[in-house]
Amino acid sequence: MQIRDYIIRRLLVLPVLIIGTSIIVFALTRIGGSPIGIYLSHEMNPAEVQEMKERFHLDKPVPVQYFYWIKGVTQGDLGWSGVASAPVVDVFPKKFAATMELAIAAGIVAVSLGIALGTFAGARRNKLADHIIRVVSVGGASMPLFWFAILLLIIFWVWLGWFPIGRSDPNLFEAIAHPTGFYTIDALLAGNFAAFRDAIWHLIMPAVALGYGATAIIARMMRSSLIEELQEDYVDAAKAKGLAERVVLKKHARRNALIPTVTVIGLTFGFLLQGTVVAEIIFRWPGLGRWMASAVLRGDQATIMTYVMFTSILFLIVNLVVDIIYANLDRRVVLGE
Amino acid sequence: MSPDTIYSSDSLSGDLIASVSDLKVYFQSKQGMVHSVDGVSFDIVDGEMMGLVGETGCGKSVTARAFMQLIQTPPGVLAGGSIHFKSQKQCKKCTGSGCDDCSNTGREIVDLLSLTERQIRELRGDRIAMIFQDPGKALNPGLTIRSQVAEVFQEHRESDVFERAGIADTMSGLTSYLLKQYVRQETNFITKLLLKFPPFSLARKKVDKAINGLVSDALAETQIPNANKIMERFPHELSGGMKQRVMIAQAIACNPDLLIADEPTTALDVTVQARVLDLIKDLQKRHKTSVLYISHDLSLVRRVCDRVAVMYAGKIVETGDAETIFINPKHPYTQGLIKALPSMTHERGKLEAIEGMVPELIEPKAGCRFASRCKQKKANCDKTDPELKAVSNKDKSHKVSCFLYE
Amino acid sequence: MTQDSRTNSIVINGLNDSAFKVRLNRNLEIIQSVLANPTTVIGLVIVILMLMMALLAPVITEPNMPDPYQMPRDWQAARSAPLTPGHVLGTTNRGGDVYYGVVWGARTSLKLSLIVVCLTVVLGVTIGSIAGIVGGKVDEVLMRIVDVFLSIPELIFALAIAAILGPSFTNIILALVVVFWVKYARIMRAQVIRIKQRDYVDAARIMGDSKIQIYLKDILPNSFSPVMVQATLDMGNIVLVGATLSFIGLSEAGIAEWGVLVSEGQAGISAGRWWASTFPGLMVFLWALAFNLVGDGLRDVLDPRTETKR
Repeated sequence: MQIRDYIIRRLLVLPVLIIGTSIIVFALTRIGGSPIGIYLSHEMNPAEVQEMKERFHLDKPVPVQYFYWIKGVTQGDLGWSGVASAPVVDVFPKKFAATMELAIAAGIVAVSLGIALGTFAGARRNKLADHIIRVVSVGGASMPLFWFAILLLIIFWVWLGWFPIGRSDPNLFEAIAHPTGFYTIDALLAGNFAAFRDAIWHLIMPAVALGYGATAIIARMMRSSLIEELQEDYVDAAKAKGLAERVVLKKHARRNALIPTVTVIGLTFGFLLQGTVVAEIIFRWPGLGRWMASAVLRGDQATIMTYVMFTSILFLIVNLVVDIIYANLDRRVVLGE
Repeated sequence: MSPDTIYSSDSLSGDLIASVSDLKVYFQSKQGMVHSVDGVSFDIVDGEMMGLVGETGCGKSVTARAFMQLIQTPPGVLAGGSIHFKSQKQCKKCTGSGCDDCSNTGREIVDLLSLTERQIRELRGDRIAMIFQDPGKALNPGLTIRSQVAEVFQEHRESDVFERAGIADTMSGLTSYLLKQYVRQETNFITKLLLKFPPFSLARKKVDKAINGLVSDALAETQIPNANKIMERFPHELSGGMKQRVMIAQAIACNPDLLIADEPTTALDVTVQARVLDLIKDLQKRHKTSVLYISHDLSLVRRVCDRVAVMYAGKIVETGDAETIFINPKHPYTQGLIKALPSMTHERGKLEAIEGMVPELIEPKAGCRFASRCKQKKANCDKTDPELKAVSNKDKSHKVSCFLYE
Repeated sequence: MTQDSRTNSIVINGLNDSAFKVRLNRNLEIIQSVLANPTTVIGLVIVILMLMMALLAPVITEPNMPDPYQMPRDWQAARSAPLTPGHVLGTTNRGGDVYYGVVWGARTSLKLSLIVVCLTVVLGVTIGSIAGIVGGKVDEVLMRIVDVFLSIPELIFALAIAAILGPSFTNIILALVVVFWVKYARIMRAQVIRIKQRDYVDAARIMGDSKIQIYLKDILPNSFSPVMVQATLDMGNIVLVGATLSFIGLSEAGIAEWGVLVSEGQAGISAGRWWASTFPGLMVFLWALAFNLVGDGLRDVLDPRTETKR
């Protein structure tokens, strides 16, 4: 199949999936009953209640309500968040930046460490280092994030006092402007080194906690695909040219081993996104995840809907991008071999 | 080089380029040691084409790979023997005037099996080159033809590259350092970045152009049309025959003393096979390269090779002049192989297969390996190993390992 | 014609007999090669220990009456460190005995994972089979639904469902069922389609077996191994996700469940009381690890594709 056709097909399926997701999300919230409760107060009389229902179209049948919801979403009306006591649209961007900063930091940890460890282990198959990395990566896939995060907290915050919790030192945070919402980038833009250091310092522990699971998955994939590549004839052919072991490993085998690893990186992005909920609770990170967690406990439907929709769309797009990259990278795929 | 790697003078005489003696390569498996190559000895005469023939799994590819130290250990075990090789390089002891260490040839003699990683790397791709069975697998799917062929020059012909680029004399200091790193593929993040900017990028472009020229010449040597265009392609964009030409170009790029061709035509279409075979033969004649040609096809070997060694289950059963062996095979296995070949004189439908299966090579017992399939089996065939001995006093080069001729 | 089919059936009977022996031998072989892998054996040992703990919970602890799944509260001994008499693993801020929670948490987890795995396997296998056998439009629609379900990250989906239904352990079970069935549907559909194309199913069709007979005799038994591998892995994953939901606060507070206990223990962490979160969290880790190890071991043996890779 041609890459172009493949991409077009995937792009056509994308809206179908997004609409499907929105239907599921909407249906879910309506199973929980009408969301009218959050708009009402005890002083209202039945006529006022009726008026409120009409105002929010809650007197109409559920499918019609769905279209009103979609219409609202396209016009930037995501509803009222009871948890934040503000419209969802107003709170969302700031929290989103905080969460993305954490997720991206964890992603950087996971991708760089995962590929490095996987390569190291794969190149030293069945040696001690390989066994250690395998144990670490098998553990990572089964590690409950909430437990691992708490262990880090106990060791590095309570016992050693090396890393702080939260997102920032309020004084430093207030001292700079926040055009992007990413604390690290804003600090760099402001040229405030103390704030940048503060940002990194607060990021390390949650990013490591969040990134461990993904690191494990990537390392495991990288190891097995590198081992597979090292058995290929072209590796022997490269050695037969007199190339150094290092060149054979890095230029020849690792390059090809990265290709299947790319697909896994896309999947781990979902892992990171959902992990932010737990990591943000434990490290008191003021992002989307922590907001979602409170919304879940207090039945804040507008927030839940927005959050689920948004993460799913993000997840879908990332995976689409990853698949396109994969199709472009793997020349053997194109041939259909 | 340590003294023990230098060959004792007596048996690698003047006209030999390589000599395999009592080579044993085993593989560990769950069931036990697999004796893949079990005491193989043969010589390769300088400038000849030597054929190594046998069924799949008889150990011929393992033997070939042993030349290049390409056997993975573990699971492989080099259990014994030696492969002596005489390269074009001058003997280091007598600087070419001839001494005992080099059998008075003036050329350096080494045991390929006991070389260090660094020493064997110097020979690989330069003095000894290899063509693999399936060019579709032996070329890296992710790299262009250019960058793959270029590697040979980058590894072994650094000075040629600089000379061709015309900057050999003018280079100095940092430029020289950076470009050497570049050619040797030792660049790191910083040096890569530096090479992107002038003045280094200018010199780098000259080097690139020089490498392109060398690659293009090498490809043209194997009659690849439009070498400059083909260079930028990826392997999957080429046909099987074209890929194998690229592999051959890569192998002969440094004009090696010994070329190992491991079933170079097996994976190709029949129509292409003949042309690739002719190409190898032609190159061998022009460059006077010695070739170890590995094949399961005896008729093919007869067509191109001067001498033949027939291998069965990890051992050489018969060796001699290609024509002699084809016309007058002595070992029952060789006879069977030839009977199994289709030919013009055969009646239709009268091909004979050799009965039975290749024996298990896991911890084999003493005795002829072919005994279980042999129609002329005698009492002692199961008990002792036959040795490779000359068939007659007249023809010393025709040797067979069979009790029928003792 | 009748003559033919009779000889056929005789041959088939003969085949069945030897096929049974082959299958038995194959099973023995599988067990042997599973046990040859040391990491699988470690996983298996942990699984057995966990199961024993779950089953023997009323014996090795004194059940908290009337509802043993509720944590007992010993307010006098609240915040005790491990190795306090009567509280081997210490207590939480609210006087919950960590040892009791760890032991009964195993029982809760077993309950949770068994119920969810059984329900999801039945649901997924049914839907996947229908998609595979019927094919066409039905297949297309069902698979799009599966795709939509897969496009929402697992934990977030389960979180949303459990949130809408309201915090309770039963709702966690429901949420997990909704999230976890899709993989089985996919596996089953792929198996049905793959096996449908194989020769021996054609042979069965020629002999006049009906679709349902073919399904029951050839397709279903042959799909057993990939479903079993996934089910084993899910036994671990379900507890992992379920405990996470409980940790966030979606089960009833105060039940003997590992995630709930970790959450309860969180309150004492800044004061240095590490134990109330550490032990139950460790149990979740070991549980998930054990089933993952066994699942991986099974896959290596049952899935010939990965078998040759190693």
